[in-house]
Amino acid sequence: MRSAVVTHLAVFLRKRSAVSSMKPVPLVLLITSVLLTTHVPLSTCRPRDVSLMNNQLDDVLLNRAGDDAVSYLVGEKLLQYLQRNLGAQKASGVLHLPHFPTAQLRSPHEDNSLEELTEFSKRNDDPPISIDLTFHLLRNMIEMARIENQREQAELNRKYLDEVGK
Amino acid sequence: MSGTLRAQLCFLLLSVTALRGHARFLDIQENDISPEGLLSLLSSELKRELPEEFVYRRALRCLDMVAVEGQFTFTAERPQLNCAVFFIGEPSDIISIEYDSVNIDCRGGDFVKVFDGWVMKGEKFPSSQDHPLPLYERYSDYCETGVTRPIVRSSQNVAMLFFRLHQSGSSFTVTFRKLINPFPCNVVSQTPEGSFTMIIPQQHRNCSFSIIYPVEIQIGELSLGQHNDLKRSILGCAGSGDFVELLGGNGMDTSKMFPMADLCYSFNGPAQMKVGCDNTVVRMVSSGKFVNRVSFQYRLLGHQELQQMKGNSVEDVCLRA
Repeated sequence: MRSAVVTHLAVFLRKRSAVSSMKPVPLVLLITSVLLTTHVPLSTCRPRDVSLMNNQLDDVLLNRAGDDAVSYLVGEKLLQYLQRNLGAQKASGVLHLPHFPTAQLRSPHEDNSLEELTEFSKRNDDPPISIDLTFHLLRNMIEMARIENQREQAELNRKYLDEVGK
Repeated sequence: MSGTLRAQLCFLLLSVTALRGHARFLDIQENDISPEGLLSLLSSELKRELPEEFVYRRALRCLDMVAVEGQFTFTAERPQLNCAVFFIGEPSDIISIEYDSVNIDCRGGDFVKVFDGWVMKGEKFPSSQDHPLPLYERYSDYCETGVTRPIVRSSQNVAMLFFRLHQSGSSFTVTFRKLINPFPCNVVSQTPEGSFTMIIPQQHRNCSFSIIYPVEIQIGELSLGQHNDLKRSILGCAGSGDFVELLGGNGMDTSKMFPMADLCYSFNGPAQMKVGCDNTVVRMVSSGKFVNRVSFQYRLLGHQELQQMKGNSVEDVCLRA
């Protein structure tokens, strides 16, 4: 596309150098052709179409099927996404099949989370890693770690005092 | 002499006198401290180097929590596929993790990753709104950058290590250190009781103090900006760029928690609030125009108090499993 524009421009410039007087019409034609050819093709835009999004999701799910943590995470996100979309469809009174119209509005928050998930999976080969832990277990672990820290600090203080005392 | 020749000679004389200068140099004896040594003393990590016998060492478990500085080794006796180690320091610390020796098979699917924050059930602390880096930059993989950047620093007092080792016999050793952070932002409290003063010195950022217990918070002093705008307080905190909010919830992510109270004007004198949730957060939003400061204390809510709160409230905002 770009090379076509360049050759077009080269031919035009050669013509221009040959002819001394310029007509505005070829110039206008050139400018419009440049503007039209440099229009960004749709494929490089972020897809607003849900069918494309579903393809990305399938890709993520298939590749990460074996991983416990990520299948939990992806499953949760998928459930939230489907719940929201199905909820919106039910509210409108008509239940559509998964291929949603492109003009459908989605909340920016869930959009971001879904895109974040697929984006992150693509960026690293590994999925976003998480761990399932209850607050109760976390609190106990912190408590044990604090006791260990205090015990070690006391040991260290004792060693320092022994050194000073020598 | 001709005019131009005289001018050229004057110019030459001028340039010669101007380029003459005085040089000073440090006369350092051989057995004195070298400039490299002086510079290395300024690095905070070397300052905290302990002699060998004082370094704390122990083995890591697949699921572990570490709050003490030292050297930790994990050796896989059997394939360990989902392991996580939590690191936590004092509120005014940041975590530094250094890879000492890593003996894993990167190509075989092994990994050792450091996460800047804590992740639990897919929810991360600090949330994306409160952390300066995007999500993918908060994971630091040894297999990708570990050799060139062996030291990873967190932005707050918590960090995590995720690892997966397929072969028995694989191992790695990390040194965990705590460095001082003069303006802590984003803290997980180690204890259900304590006090803290959060200061945001003219920075456009949001900071959260997370207490993973149901607590009663008593705010002693709040200083937001310089002006006491009465108009702002009538409209609520929605329009102001500097405010403090109390959040309660059952997850780690502060952006998914429920607001319990909003404070958008300065005051002196205690204001108390009981939050009966698994995670209580004091969050300060700062526009960057002022120096904002909040001082608060917190204590654990007893079982009876929680029962009383359950009985009094009509709706239970913090649902419990």
